[in-house]
Amino acid sequence: MKYNILFGGKAGQGANILTHILAESLAEEGYYVFYYRDYKSLIRGGHGFNVLTFSDKPVHSHESKYDLIVALDQETIDLHKKDLKKGKTIIDGKGQNMYFAGRMYKALGLSFSLLNKRLKKLGRYEENLKQAKAGFEFQEKGFDIVKVQKKKRTFSSGSVAVAEGAVKSGIDRYYAYPMTPATAVLGELAQRQEKYGHLVLELENEIAVAGAGCGSACTGAKTMVGTSGGGFCLMTEMLSMCGIAKIPLVFYLAQRAGPASGVATYNAQADLHMARHAAHGEFPRLVLAPGDPVEAQELTSQSFYLSQKFGCPAILISDKHLAESYYTTEHTPVITKIGHPTKFGRYNSYEQDPVTGSATEDADVIIANVKERKQRWNALKKECENFEGYKIYGKKSSKNCIVFWGSPKGAILDAIQGLDVCAIQILYVEPFPKKVQKILEGKKNIIAVENNATGQLCDVIREHTGILIPEKDKILRYDARPFLCDELKKQLEKKLK
Amino acid sequence: MKTKDTNLNTTTRPTWCPGCFNFQILAGFKNYVASELKKKNVTKDDFAICSGIACQAKIFDYVNLNGLNTLHGRELPSALGLKLGNPKLNVFAFGGDGGTYSEGMSHLIHAARHNANITFTVHNNQVFALTVGQPTSVTEKGYSDKTTPEGVVSEPLNPIKLMLNANCSFVARVFADVKQVEWVYKEAAKHKGFKFIEIIQPCIIFHPNKGYKEHTYMLEDKKHDSSDFNKAMKRASEWNYDGIKDDTKIPLGIFYKKKRQCMEDQHWQLKDSAKKK
Repeated sequence: MKYNILFGGKAGQGANILTHILAESLAEEGYYVFYYRDYKSLIRGGHGFNVLTFSDKPVHSHESKYDLIVALDQETIDLHKKDLKKGKTIIDGKGQNMYFAGRMYKALGLSFSLLNKRLKKLGRYEENLKQAKAGFEFQEKGFDIVKVQKKKRTFSSGSVAVAEGAVKSGIDRYYAYPMTPATAVLGELAQRQEKYGHLVLELENEIAVAGAGCGSACTGAKTMVGTSGGGFCLMTEMLSMCGIAKIPLVFYLAQRAGPASGVATYNAQADLHMARHAAHGEFPRLVLAPGDPVEAQELTSQSFYLSQKFGCPAILISDKHLAESYYTTEHTPVITKIGHPTKFGRYNSYEQDPVTGSATEDADVIIANVKERKQRWNALKKECENFEGYKIYGKKSSKNCIVFWGSPKGAILDAIQGLDVCAIQILYVEPFPKKVQKILEGKKNIIAVENNATGQLCDVIREHTGILIPEKDKILRYDARPFLCDELKKQLEKKLK
Repeated sequence: MKTKDTNLNTTTRPTWCPGCFNFQILAGFKNYVASELKKKNVTKDDFAICSGIACQAKIFDYVNLNGLNTLHGRELPSALGLKLGNPKLNVFAFGGDGGTYSEGMSHLIHAARHNANITFTVHNNQVFALTVGQPTSVTEKGYSDKTTPEGVVSEPLNPIKLMLNANCSFVARVFADVKQVEWVYKEAAKHKGFKFIEIIQPCIIFHPNKGYKEHTYMLEDKKHDSSDFNKAMKRASEWNYDGIKDDTKIPLGIFYKKKRQCMEDQHWQLKDSAKKK
């Protein structure tokens, strides 16, 4: 059993909160749930929609065809009717979003008390309750839903997970300037200040954000800064600063479609090379790429741990799809506790004399410093081998092998069901896990799946392993939308041998 | 364990030009810190210094205190980070007119707005000195160098007026003279909030002293009321950084100070009593 439902309407009509409470209730009842948000860069009006998928078996992505459309306005019907599966229904009518919530809870066989519990957590309770009751009474029990056993699972977005990972790592300071899709972490961390005691602050621009980040990190405060690609460009000078001064700053980079302002509220994985190469000079850095909320928590904590231990910047690279989609997750994230707090001293953006802490132009000292950076870099690489730098899914012995990083994970996991293929996910892009080379060398057919136009992970693999993935073996999506499991499955089937 | 060491000297040999007015600022700052270190329970661990890039930034190399020698124009964000990272630190940031009024201008206005308890010194020599003499945003109109053969056409900024308009809670200007520098730090220490101190520090190579000091007078001698904003603006308007003429009068001292809640006092997370969970 698997249902793929679209909720659409104008921005401000509340299709998003409608999806969210229903998804939470379904997750609470024991279903596996995933939902995707598709919204434009506007506040009121226009057209936005969410796609919610739920099942009695694990789901991590949505599909292109719908079992049901919940239309809060006519435009939703006009735009999406073509994608409704044959013989399936549209729920529409006059009412506010909680009217539709009432209808959906009834249609899916969920009790009114489950809905009421959610309503109590929202504002305008009386009005919402009236709407919800009307919808619940109007709707007939429509769907034959398989009952499942209740099981406690976490239901969260990538942004919630990054915030959770940060507070569990003992974050002290988070600085940011608003930018979609990184802003959700700013909000999530701000909401957690009272409970955990860290400080969240918005500063005048990303340059100030990264500059203050460096200052606080020097004093021993565990500090993270967050932005998307455009803001990261402004932070780049301070990335270099971290590189020379051994400053352990964590950069949260949530990608969106670029270049420049690109497509503000839509998705891409096109900033991997920027994360790897941005900033002048040569210095050790981490580029860690989670693919789901559990990994987002774990890699956030590893970013703090490793950057503190090795005095280097860590870049946690996510994207709009992971940051703003919600997933049920079964595993409890493993949090790596920081064991090497930073001590305040004399930090310098210049090449530094180790005795005085002052700037130096002495060739011997420069050589010693460069060697120290290289040694630290090697030690970092060695330590990273203790963490899961890559993961393998599917039929491990298959000659067909997908390589990917980040948010396409959900669609890939769902798409490879029943196919003769395995999938290798790269979580540590920098330092790159050595063992991947041997595995890939044993595969006859390597297929790359990336949300960009050039296959940036393919370049990374070529650089580290010498293995060339030709253009014909790349499945690239660059319409600023994430992969959908049914479409991806068809694309994969054509490439399998 | 706090350090008992009170030595403020580093073994780094200063590379400022012989006779550079930066030596006066260095001595004034060190005198001030040394006097603080004589106080009970005050140690070097209580201080943090922050500078950037260019001649004045080298002060970081010549004062043996913890801190961060950050990037050009980013002294204020980095100093704010130090302060927020550890609010107990007494943070002193040093910038030049190039870094502060050009590269990092937005930070200056916001620093006044944030009002964190930080002392910020601008060494104003009205020129990019370490890059050999290009005009900054406070260089007088008509100034010419290799890169501006036809002379500067834009008017110089008046940073004192700017900081007054930015609602800065402490605005002062002194000349690069060891006694004036030490004095202004002592005065600034009495004020809690963002302290903007500009020091006129003529560059002896690229923007020489054409009698700046002779044209200055102390506001304190004129019984200036530093709580009066309008009077502060009037005094600040007496000299617009447009060179020295016969009748030029450059007021020095504290233009304005006003008690205002500082940033760190408004975040409970930064208070001593706030224990992290």
